Amino acid sequence: MAPCAAAAEFPVGLRVLVVDDDATTLKIIEQMSIRCRYRVTTCTEATVALNLLRERKGCFDVVLSDVHMPDMDGYKLLEHVGLEMDLPVIMMSGDSTTSAVMKGIRHGACDYLIKPVREEELRNIWQHVVRKFWNDNKELDNSGSMEDSDRNKWGNDDAEYTSSVADAAEVVKAPKKRSSLKEEDIELESDDPATSKKPRVVWSVELHQQFVSAVNQLGLDKAVPKRILELMNVPGLTRENVASHLQKFRLYLKRLSGVAQQQNGMLNAIPGTIESKLGATGRFDIQALAAAGHVPPETLAALHAELLGHPATHMMSTVDQTTLLQASIQGLKHSHAEHAVAYGQPLVKCHSNIGKNFSPSILTVNDTSSGYGTWPSSNNTIGLVRPNSSVERVGIQNNNMLMDILEHQQSQQHQQKQQLQQQSLIHDQSCSINVQPSCMVVPSQSSDTFQAVNSPASVNQDFSFARNAIIDYSLLSQKSKNSFSASQFPGGDTKARGVLYGYSTPSTCSTSSSNGNRQQLQNSTLTFGAARPLPSLLPMSDRKDPYGFKSGDLLDQVCFRNLGFVGKGTCIPSRFVENEIESSVSDFSQMKVNVDSSGNTRNQEPNFINIPKVSHPIIERYPSRDHSRVFTE
Amino acid sequence: MLGFGADLLWADMNRLLAFLFHQGVLDEQFLQLQQLQDEASPNFVSEVVNIYFHESEKLLTNLRGLLMEREYKKMGIHLNQFMGSSSSIGAKRVTNVCVAFRAATDQSNRAGCLRALEMLEHEYCYLKNKLHELFQIEQQRALVAGVRYPV
Repeated sequence: MAPCAAAAEFPVGLRVLVVDDDATTLKIIEQMSIRCRYRVTTCTEATVALNLLRERKGCFDVVLSDVHMPDMDGYKLLEHVGLEMDLPVIMMSGDSTTSAVMKGIRHGACDYLIKPVREEELRNIWQHVVRKFWNDNKELDNSGSMEDSDRNKWGNDDAEYTSSVADAAEVVKAPKKRSSLKEEDIELESDDPATSKKPRVVWSVELHQQFVSAVNQLGLDKAVPKRILELMNVPGLTRENVASHLQKFRLYLKRLSGVAQQQNGMLNAIPGTIESKLGATGRFDIQALAAAGHVPPETLAALHAELLGHPATHMMSTVDQTTLLQASIQGLKHSHAEHAVAYGQPLVKCHSNIGKNFSPSILTVNDTSSGYGTWPSSNNTIGLVRPNSSVERVGIQNNNMLMDILEHQQSQQHQQKQQLQQQSLIHDQSCSINVQPSCMVVPSQSSDTFQAVNSPASVNQDFSFARNAIIDYSLLSQKSKNSFSASQFPGGDTKARGVLYGYSTPSTCSTSSSNGNRQQLQNSTLTFGAARPLPSLLPMSDRKDPYGFKSGDLLDQVCFRNLGFVGKGTCIPSRFVENEIESSVSDFSQMKVNVDSSGNTRNQEPNFINIPKVSHPIIERYPSRDHSRVFTE
Repeated sequence: MLGFGADLLWADMNRLLAFLFHQGVLDEQFLQLQQLQDEASPNFVSEVVNIYFHESEKLLTNLRGLLMEREYKKMGIHLNQFMGSSSSIGAKRVTNVCVAFRAATDQSNRAGCLRALEMLEHEYCYLKNKLHELFQIEQQRALVAGVRYPV
């Protein structure tokens, strides 16, 4: 990959490692990443992912990991990655409760995405990478200029580490170097071009806990780096290390008491990252907001003023902090799903050069809240379903200070780990997606699924990124069905099993004649769901039989009802007729769908149908239409 | 004549989609999936959905087994995954049932879990049927569109 070309198109070519035990999500994120022109590698197991990372250090820019995984807790993976490879890790989860998100932060996640992840969110992940690089540089080199230290850092590193990110970071930074340096805070004081002489301090969990307990002892308002250093009594730690860490810590606390704003792109502010386990979160999702409530505007304004006015003095008074914290806790009781409160973060000094771009848009709290618009209702329901439980939980946890939480973190990790270890593995090995060295997407499949007969394009998505091309994703033809197996990944679970599990769907136009009979039966059952609510459906014992024909008498009855459609030699499910659809709708309306706490109006939909009553030309072709009348009675 | 059929099929498909959206069976995430499909990956949606079906059926089987053994915690874990994948493809109703199901497992409410499991299976089957319909129309459309006499 030519670095120049890559830098010009950053974040194209971002090397992403995605870890998720859920194959569906994995595939979707993979495709989204491909769309974003990232170089993506997927993995279903955390252990495999870790091995991958270890063996190929410097080959990835960012890690996306699910929280709940059978073999290893996502948080553990997060810790390992942070400690060993120091890569930015982004967590993903369907769990949007505040406590879960907070746990992510505590463990050092750069961001926490709520499933379902959307493409826009994926497009933003590059910022975490860039930010981390910049922060790392600053840690390294308190006295050097940023640009020079960057160059030197990259030069010192492994020669293979030609990340597009580094170049891009330079490219982006260079024009603004002058202006940014003027506003840099005390950390960058001189223009000394020499490389950093200080070894980087990794704020490990233990070290950070010592730090936290020291701060606790002193009291947050009285905690000065010198005294903290004394209390911690760690050899080799300098006052500057402690100072910068303290700065980040205060910001972190501030951030936690605020609420994030969920916007795409620009408004996704860049808080300063805490290098240690307390990673920064770019933003909270609106679902977290829904549970978290909102911060009263005056505290938010105070936060803004603070950040804007006095960037150099990051000493926020304890009173403010406690107010914020308590406000946020109490705010939990008033959850306003639509509230978008701006996250009081945007203007950390270190990143003023980027912050400048964003600051005008972020300052206006009110404006941004109006920009929320409609939130996908599905997400809302998910987020809102358990507001009470999360409130209680957090309320109990959080008296005042988060320090207590931090001390509990290890014990909690332990419990979680034990819990997860007790699970039985859900997936058999054959489900794992092959780990590819350089984001070659797992292409092969064992049997045909939905194959349009006429499409010459391969059914399998075979995206292979050429090793040296950035944006090259070429669709391999069907010949490549067997080709990928060459790239077995060492040290990992390398079952060469396709992504497409060969689920024998009723591909009516497919050539597999063995499915022929079953197809037709399957066609006929397509509305069985519309029948009266079946008490016990499809135990699904037989995986080969997609509709579980072997089980359930009721099922058979329904099948037989529709058998009139069978054997007409039609591919189109002819029961797709207005009448039947109506009946199916009305059946559903009678069903008590009491799951939705937000009270979606799914229960009454008999008259919504847009389906015209006009007899459909296509339907007329199929003589089985007559049968439909029978069923509507 | 064949072109005419293709248009009608297109209308069919849209109608079905509108129906499903309106019913809340699918939500906008499904649209995202469709947008991810392009010439480079022409069958993306059906592939993802196939994966989803495959995984889901395993999960459902497991869930039923676990319910018999009253393993609520494990059920919760399975449900997390089910929720994640269902929401990823935009299966809104299924996701909602999962949420309620998980609440029941949190309370170790066996009757509630049983009800929820049945409802989940029901919703899942309905979704599956409808999606199969959709794909069949899609295939038919491709077939019809492909067999076109040169003008």
